[in-house]
Order: sequence, then structure tokens, then C-alpha cells
Amino acid sequence: MSVGQVLLIADAVIGLSCASSVAVIAIAKFGRDRGGARSSALLAPYRHALIAMASGEDEEGQARGVLFAVSAPTWDRLRPSVVAFLPKVRGAPADDLGELLRSHGEIEAAKRMLISRSAVRRARAAYLLGLVRDPDSAALVLPLLGDPDEDVRLVAARALGAIGEPSAARGVLHALRTQHGQIGLPAWVAAEALLSMGVQIAPALQIGLASEDPAVRNVCAVVAGLGTFASVAPQLRILLATDSEGDVRASAAVALGRVGGAEDVVALARHTDASETAVLRRTCATALGDLGQRESLDTLVGLLGDGDCRLAALAADSLVRIGSEGIARLQEAAAATRPGPSARAALGALDLAGLRGQLGVSGGGA
Amino acid sequence: MTEPVKTRILVADDDRDILDLVVFKLTQAGYEVVGVADGSAALAAIEADPPRLAILDVMMPGLSGIDVLRKVRANEATKDLDVILLTARSRDSDVDAGFATGASDYVIKPFSPRELLHRVNALLARGNG
Repeated sequence: MSVGQVLLIADAVIGLSCASSVAVIAIAKFGRDRGGARSSALLAPYRHALIAMASGEDEEGQARGVLFAVSAPTWDRLRPSVVAFLPKVRGAPADDLGELLRSHGEIEAAKRMLISRSAVRRARAAYLLGLVRDPDSAALVLPLLGDPDEDVRLVAARALGAIGEPSAARGVLHALRTQHGQIGLPAWVAAEALLSMGVQIAPALQIGLASEDPAVRNVCAVVAGLGTFASVAPQLRILLATDSEGDVRASAAVALGRVGGAEDVVALARHTDASETAVLRRTCATALGDLGQRESLDTLVGLLGDGDCRLAALAADSLVRIGSEGIARLQEAAAATRPGPSARAALGALDLAGLRGQLGVSGGGA
Repeated sequence: MTEPVKTRILVADDDRDILDLVVFKLTQAGYEVVGVADGSAALAAIEADPPRLAILDVMMPGLSGIDVLRKVRANEATKDLDVILLTARSRDSDVDAGFATGASDYVIKPFSPRELLHRVNALLARGNG
């Protein structure tokens, strides 16, 4: 056989392979489209009932009757649509959809699947239990915070947040720690979950603020501020003054700005001192504005001329947020006979305040 | 006897479930509702025949709800249209940006269909008052 013949046969084989690949793809696509169309056609009679239930327009219970009575094979096709609707609505329609899932045995099945060998199934089960906010599931989902699969741990934390069971707070905080080679939960996932659990997590926060792990202390401080947990203010003061981690001190300062009072002005002002890190100084200047106490005025005016322009701008913004007295002090600084950094920071803040509509007519011309 | 003219509302959302749900809810409440699945179609529908109120999803392919709102406010013929932004973006800065662009109201997903209807009713009542 000549070289030319070999090449010809090789070309033919390659051509045939390509053609058959294209044919396989086309057949698969056709089959999928046809299957999808058939599934849509089968579900069409139930779509209207599902929308009626999800929109809360089923006062006479007709949709409920239809959906609760579907056969098992139809339910298998309908279930993804029900699950897809659940995270989109809240209130009574969400409760009704959850009840529909329960009536078809989905909640019990999900509880069983939490111990599946498949990580995907464990995650799906936790996700579903979070969606229906079944409080009885919290204790079952909790162990998944120690799951070997990182994604399962994430889904479990979010599910516990969605369920909103405060007794799970300590478990979420524990899962923040990196241990046994497992990376801890991302801080923001833990914080969101904790915030969803409501005011009853205050005791868990108090314990967390005293944790040896800085990641736990930091998240607790963040949550204390965002959730306005005023009861933990004494611990936040201790963290701001003594914590070994800059992040924790900054988070404590932010939280004190939200939950503290006049007694915190001195501590926050002290941490705007030039000996502190830039991050902490800026955070404390902002927190003084959040506190809104007139006792902060002198400190903030003193920062207007700081070499750290960002700090000066934040101090000026805090003065605006304190109100008329802060704005008056800014106007004094802006009108200084010798324009310098203070005047520039003051003018910038006054311009911004004017744009935001925070100034009265008299202040607008500063 | 002629039927009373229904108040017309435009709903734009690329999520088919939410679009169908909102259209159904408002239709049941007695409104005439037009549903579209993207921002360009929403803008075209508003400019062709301005409704009394528009409900816009923020994150849509092509023109976002914010883009549509900006163009609506810049157009003399539609600048006073009541617009509700319906979105999963729940941060304060997102809400501020929505109102700064000129939204009449801002509803965060997941949402209560009943609450959305109350807000629609309230906006339209304010416009009529």
C-alpha cells in the first residue's frame, strides 16, 4: 500500500469520526430538547396551579388540591419547579410551597439524605431543609458544619441561617476555626448565618468574643455591630483596648460606633492617635461619626489636618454626620485665613454633604 | 356597557418564574399587565405606550433595570413614570443607588407577592391623589 493510499484512508477515518461526533451531538441535543418539551407539556396543567400558590392567590385552595394530589411520577418532574420557586418568595406562599414539599415526603427524604455518601446529595438535602426553614431540621443539619466537603459545610451554614435556629450559633462559630486540615467557614458566611438567627444568639456572641481564635472574635464583633447587640458593648471595649489582632480591634471599633454611647468617645478618640495603625485610626474616626456624640468634635476637627488624607476626609465626613455642630466646625475650618490640609478636607466634606442634601441653605455656600 | 379601563402595568424580569408570578398576581388584582423578559423590551414597551407603573428587575441581560430607569427619567414623555425596582441586591448601597437613580420604590427578593401588591396599590393611589 502506497503512502498516498494510507493518507487517503486516514483522511476518510478522520472525516467519518468527525461526522459521527456531530451526529451524536445533534441526536443528544434533539433528544434533550424533545424531552424538555415533553416535560414542559406534562407540567403545563400544573404550572398555573403552582403560580397561583406561589403568588398567594389560592384562597379557595384549588391549586393546593391539584398540587397535593399529583401522582409520584408527575411529582418527580414537578419537584424542581417547586424548589426553584421557594427561594424567590417569602411569607405565606413560601410556607405553602414548603408544606407542598412536605406532603410529598421531600422533607423526610432530605433528612435521610443528610448522611448520604454523596457530598452533592448531602448539600442538596441541607439546601432544601434551609429553604423550607424547618426548625426541627436544625439539629440534623448542624453536624454538616464539620463535613469533610467544604461546599457541604457552606451550604449547611447557610441553611442554618435560613432556618434561624439560635441554638445553632455556637456550632457556626466553632466551624469558623481551621482545624484537622479543614479550612474554616468564610467569615461572611458565618456572619450572615448568625445575623439571621436573631437576638437570641447574644449569649453565643459573648462566648465567641472571648474565644482564643481571632477569626471567631472578629466575626462576633462584626455581628455585634451589624445586629446592634448592645449587651456585648463591654466586651467590645475590652477587645478595642487589648486585642492582639488589628482586625479584631477594628471590628470592635466599628461595632462600638453602632452600639456604644458617649462613654466610648474617649476610647475611640484615643485610637485615632498617630501611634496606631492607619486602618484603626480611620475606623475609629468613622465610628466616632456613627456614634454621633458632640464630645467627639474636638478630636475630629484635630484630624482634619492629618497627613493621612483619607483619615482627614473620614473625620470631616463624621463631623457632617454628627449634625449642625459638626458642620459649623467644618465651616470654621474651611474659612481659615491660611488654607491648608484642614481647610481642604473641610471643603471637600461640605461639598459632598451639599450634594447629598445634608446641608441647609446656609451651609451650602461654604 | 363598556368595561372600565384597567390601569396598565409593565413587568420586566428575565426570571420566568418571577415574571409569571407577578403578572398573575397583578392581573388577579384587576390590573392590565404586560410582561417582558429583558431591559430592551421593557424600554421599547414603555416608550411605545407608557404604562402607569413599571416593575423592573435590576439584573437583566442587556439593559439592566437601572439602565432602563435612567433612560425613562431622561425622557420627557416618561420621566414621571412610577417605577418599582425588584431585585436580589439588598445592600444599603444598592438600595441607595436605586433611589438615587429615581426609583419610586425598591422591593428586595425574596419578596412577598402580597406586599408587592400593596406597594403597587399605594404608589398608584398616591399618583391618583
